[in-house]
Amino acid sequence: MDSRNVLSRPAYALREVSFRYDIRSYDTSESVLKDITCSIDSGKILGILGPNGSGKSTLLKLLARVLRPQYGTIELLGDALSVLSQADVARRVALVPQETLQIFPYTIAEMVLMGRFPHHRGWGGWHWEDSDDRRIAHLAMEDLDVAHLGAKLVTDVSGGERQRAVIARALTQQPQVLLLDEPTAFLDLHHQLDIARILRRLNRERGLTVILVSHDLNLASQYCDQLMLLQHGHIVEVGSPREVLRPDLLESVYGCQVLVDSHPQSGLPRVSLPV
Amino acid sequence: MFIESNRGIVFVKPLTDVPPLSISPSSKESKEWVQVPPPLPLPISSFATLTIRRCFLWVGVSFVLAVVTLLVCLGFGTEPISFSRIWSILVGAMLGTDSIHVGTDPTAVILLQVRLPRVLLAFFVGGSLAMVGVALQALLRNPLADPFVIGISSGAALGASLALLFGVGISLLSVSALPVCAFAGALLSLLIMYRISSAGNGFSIYTLLLAGVVLNAIFSAFIMFLTSVADPNRAFGMYAWLMGSLTGPDFATLGVLALYLGIGLLVLATQAQSLNLLTLGEETARSLGVEVERVKQLVFVAAALLTGAVVSFSGMIGFVGLIVPHAVRLVVSADHRLLLPVAGFVGGMFLMLADTVARTALSPGEFPVGVVTALVGGPVFLYLLTHRNRRVGM
Repeated sequence: MDSRNVLSRPAYALREVSFRYDIRSYDTSESVLKDITCSIDSGKILGILGPNGSGKSTLLKLLARVLRPQYGTIELLGDALSVLSQADVARRVALVPQETLQIFPYTIAEMVLMGRFPHHRGWGGWHWEDSDDRRIAHLAMEDLDVAHLGAKLVTDVSGGERQRAVIARALTQQPQVLLLDEPTAFLDLHHQLDIARILRRLNRERGLTVILVSHDLNLASQYCDQLMLLQHGHIVEVGSPREVLRPDLLESVYGCQVLVDSHPQSGLPRVSLPV
Repeated sequence: MFIESNRGIVFVKPLTDVPPLSISPSSKESKEWVQVPPPLPLPISSFATLTIRRCFLWVGVSFVLAVVTLLVCLGFGTEPISFSRIWSILVGAMLGTDSIHVGTDPTAVILLQVRLPRVLLAFFVGGSLAMVGVALQALLRNPLADPFVIGISSGAALGASLALLFGVGISLLSVSALPVCAFAGALLSLLIMYRISSAGNGFSIYTLLLAGVVLNAIFSAFIMFLTSVADPNRAFGMYAWLMGSLTGPDFATLGVLALYLGIGLLVLATQAQSLNLLTLGEETARSLGVEVERVKQLVFVAAALLTGAVVSFSGMIGFVGLIVPHAVRLVVSADHRLLLPVAGFVGGMFLMLADTVARTALSPGEFPVGVVTALVGGPVFLYLLTHRNRRVGM
């Protein structure tokens, strides 16, 4: 396949996508997402913003086909998402969830290697990881600076280390699209910056399409090429940070007064709350 | 360069700090060029993840230990048999060279027709319970789950009780009817739970656990009703069986049990890697390419098959499916490709030993093995729970 062809194709095309959690209800006003139609470019960093309950995380789960929409179609790199197998999807798209259950004592290396699962066929994905799998996992762990933690248990490392390991697992899937749900939510400033820079590097160097959900308008403004603003399951605005982070728009969506000025270094919009 | 892994294995740190392959003067004294060792071919230490070698090692060790335990347990009983005697009888029976001698020697009869089937039954039952426990814990992402908690065992017990009460009794049709009824009961309880739990979108873990608790109560009420209306002789037999006992199997029964268990274990084994991913959460597993619904259905049916077979042959034996997987996970590995077989062997060992205690402690009398597993399993489980963060054992 021609790689330029893939890049010029949108990562996602959504047509009139609606979703609600309670499938027995016929009350369409309960839908979390309503008639979403949009196209998401390949090779960009897209930030999905919006107040609590606006459907951000749900949209991300639909894109990863963790959930399936009741209405509408989603195309992933030109193929209908609904006809792909779960492993097909997982080879193209990796999801970094908001929080990962850590009940059982796997080592970090074991957990990262699980990212190779969709690349192996067989009974229930039964396989032994070969040296290629290990190499791919190791490179991902080096990218995220967790290679030295390989033998630690996931239950023993800090939140920032675990989050980086989960991103390493996602990269081990060798996806074309990386979806992240609040990747910096539980991290301190230092690790927030780390993750944001890593994502930008992966995007610039490898053309990885990054789609992230965030409450952090400023981080999104600095690191995203495009922003999508959601409210009540509708898309309110899509565009560059300058186009989306307008005081009037933010005030109507978030329902509170905000101040927008320029970041002293980048000149991009900076959002602050009034005193 | 060398650091200690928390499973107690020294391994070489991945070579991030080591300078790349370079040729440089080592010091002023020697002008010779010293070659820095090249990076290891496998960047991730093989001890940090599961390798085939490590898997074979652990499975081999647990297999040998299980065989040793089996031989030890064969020696204990109302009439102790020495190890060399056991060995000669077993070898003689297996090679078929000593058949006349075996047929007449009372020690050989006791060993081969009473003790060996019983010890083997304990091994099969214990191993199966442990593996069902492993599977259900992964599925429910709850280290406390086991076939009893989510109500499969009591469903199986109700099915088996009905079979017993309506005369498809132990002596007559035990080989065919009991396990089938128990499997039907186990599957019925699962189907009920599936309906209750999947009423919303998807399958909630907490709904499942709660449904299991309530289902347990309902099935127990049914069983109590059945035992109270049954005639006293039969009711006494049902009580003894419900408490969990391993008395009186023959090799034909064992063969049938082995068939049921073989099918169930094969299905579970194929899903080992999917179970690994399921422990990360259903949505994460799905995003990593697991067909979650299919895996769940397969594992549930396999669990019902195993539980039904085990309950019909040995009643309600608790705690094996709870503590054995937990302990093996802490000591050996959380990877289900290794955890499942090792937990099987350890579960078998545990129940063989527990049954040996049950039949020898009050010799010549005996008490239900379920008593032993609860008395041993309960405290051990509490100990493991309180010492979870200190990494028991290795």
